[in-house]
Amino acid sequence: MSVDSRLLRPTAPGRRAVDRTIFGLCILAGILALAPLGAVIYFLIVDGLSAWSPAFLVELPGPITTPGGGALHAIIGTLMMTGLSLVIATPMGLAVAILIVEERTSRIAPLVRTAVDLLAGVPSIVVGIFVYTLVVLSTRHFSGFAGSVALAIIMLPIIARTSEEMLKIIPRSLREGTMALGMARWRALTFVFIPTIASGILTGIALAVSRAIGETAPLLFTALGSNFVQTDFSEPMNALPLYIFQNAINIGFPAAKQRAWAAALTLVVIVLLFNLIGRWLASRATVRGARS
Amino acid sequence: MTAQPAAIGVRIATQPTDVAETEGVAVTTAPSKKAAIEVRNLSAYYGAKRAVANVSLDAPQRSITAIIGPSGSGKTTVLRALNRMLEVVPGARIEGSVRFHDVDIYDPQIDPAAVRRTIGMVFQQPNPFPTMSIFENVAAAARFNGIARTKAEAAELVERSLRSAALWDEVKDSLGKSGASLSGGQQQRLCIARALAVSPEVILMDEPCSALDPIATLQIEELARELRQRYAIVIVTHNMQQAARVSDETIFMSMNEDRAGYVVETGATAQIFTNPVNKITEDYITGRFG
Repeated sequence: MSVDSRLLRPTAPGRRAVDRTIFGLCILAGILALAPLGAVIYFLIVDGLSAWSPAFLVELPGPITTPGGGALHAIIGTLMMTGLSLVIATPMGLAVAILIVEERTSRIAPLVRTAVDLLAGVPSIVVGIFVYTLVVLSTRHFSGFAGSVALAIIMLPIIARTSEEMLKIIPRSLREGTMALGMARWRALTFVFIPTIASGILTGIALAVSRAIGETAPLLFTALGSNFVQTDFSEPMNALPLYIFQNAINIGFPAAKQRAWAAALTLVVIVLLFNLIGRWLASRATVRGARS
Repeated sequence: MTAQPAAIGVRIATQPTDVAETEGVAVTTAPSKKAAIEVRNLSAYYGAKRAVANVSLDAPQRSITAIIGPSGSGKTTVLRALNRMLEVVPGARIEGSVRFHDVDIYDPQIDPAAVRRTIGMVFQQPNPFPTMSIFENVAAAARFNGIARTKAEAAELVERSLRSAALWDEVKDSLGKSGASLSGGQQQRLCIARALAVSPEVILMDEPCSALDPIATLQIEELARELRQRYAIVIVTHNMQQAARVSDETIFMSMNEDRAGYVVETGATAQIFTNPVNKITEDYITGRFG
């Protein structure tokens, strides 16, 4: 007297096997993707921490063969050049995004959009050469300013693209709300739209900083590097990626190898800090904006 | 006062000479029927498609005019044509005339922003500015438009607007909170307060209650009755009971063979709902179609 129901019929064993296999393959792919990241973090911590000391943050490096020494000049250079490039790239990127979205019916908007896409694909070493011919040759001097310009070019498409995506998702109801009040468009942008998408813009900026701060190639022919603390943008500057590069090519010397590891760890920690600050700012921006 | 012709049907027989008599004067007897907005032979197009054909209507001062009709009959299109919010839809354009107190709002010399400040709009979905506080939501537009210049002026304007929108008592202790933290009905009243803060003369409401629960709906309807004493209101609604409850005049729209909206019948709300002239109106009112 068993009930005949389709619910009681067993699932074919073949289907279960296929399901399990595919799920297993997905797990494997996930592990393969995470393994390099894990390895990088592992070696950074193991080799980096053993080479690192607080003195690394405040000292200058001695001769290549002498152990110890720090990267004060490179840390300052990295922070200064990243800061200046941020100041250059953020307003430009935002302006480009506004042009692309708000003037989308104009003839220039699609051209600019394509240009931004192409710029994002330009190899960073090419950006370095470009800025070398544009800034270094015309000022006849390697400089922190030239390095900042190169980093700003790296950042610009990232900021422009993320801001563009955010501007696009501003709901029509919000746009119409500003229009129905007779608000001028620039006021709607500055006081309503941009605050509304601030968290997204900040995320884009954080991404751009993370990308630019680790770039070596654009700085090779622009900021060049320096052995001293340099706070004058018109002079050559060092930066952490350059410092890693300079030490890593002398890896035969144990002292240089140690410094390269310590600098790598420092750089990653700085990137992490920037990301945390960006996220914190972004979450503050959303809390004000979101419901509740 | 000289003897005046009976006030019935004066909507059509408006003369420009009445302007001085009615404007800004508190009317103690029956509300003036002088039209704030006059629409003549309005056709609206989205690209090549004609969405609305030859609509003529009047929105009298200090009255609520309801536009009812089935989906697709062009109610919202007509409403948006009244304050030039239609042209922000890509591909939309109009023919015919829309006059606000004898001024053609589509005259090339006229700034659409000025039209929209004079003829305000409340939308179907409440759309407070999400990053602004309750206070800022009301103050912002007025401040940008130069209506409130000082902090004290802004505070006064915000209180006045929120009181007019029947929201003050609920939010006066939390003006700094996000406008998005309010309930749907409160958000809609906030949007009404925001529209009032730029000193409009006409308020257009595009199904203002369709996203709200019945209690919030009644609050908005009561508010509309209040505001009617000072503003001309045009309300688009799907809800016939709502039209019957709140409006003084009703415009019934339907679709013709080309699926373009047109006006079937206009008249006093009581008359449209109890004794419609047109068979289509009667069928719609009694629920036989639409």
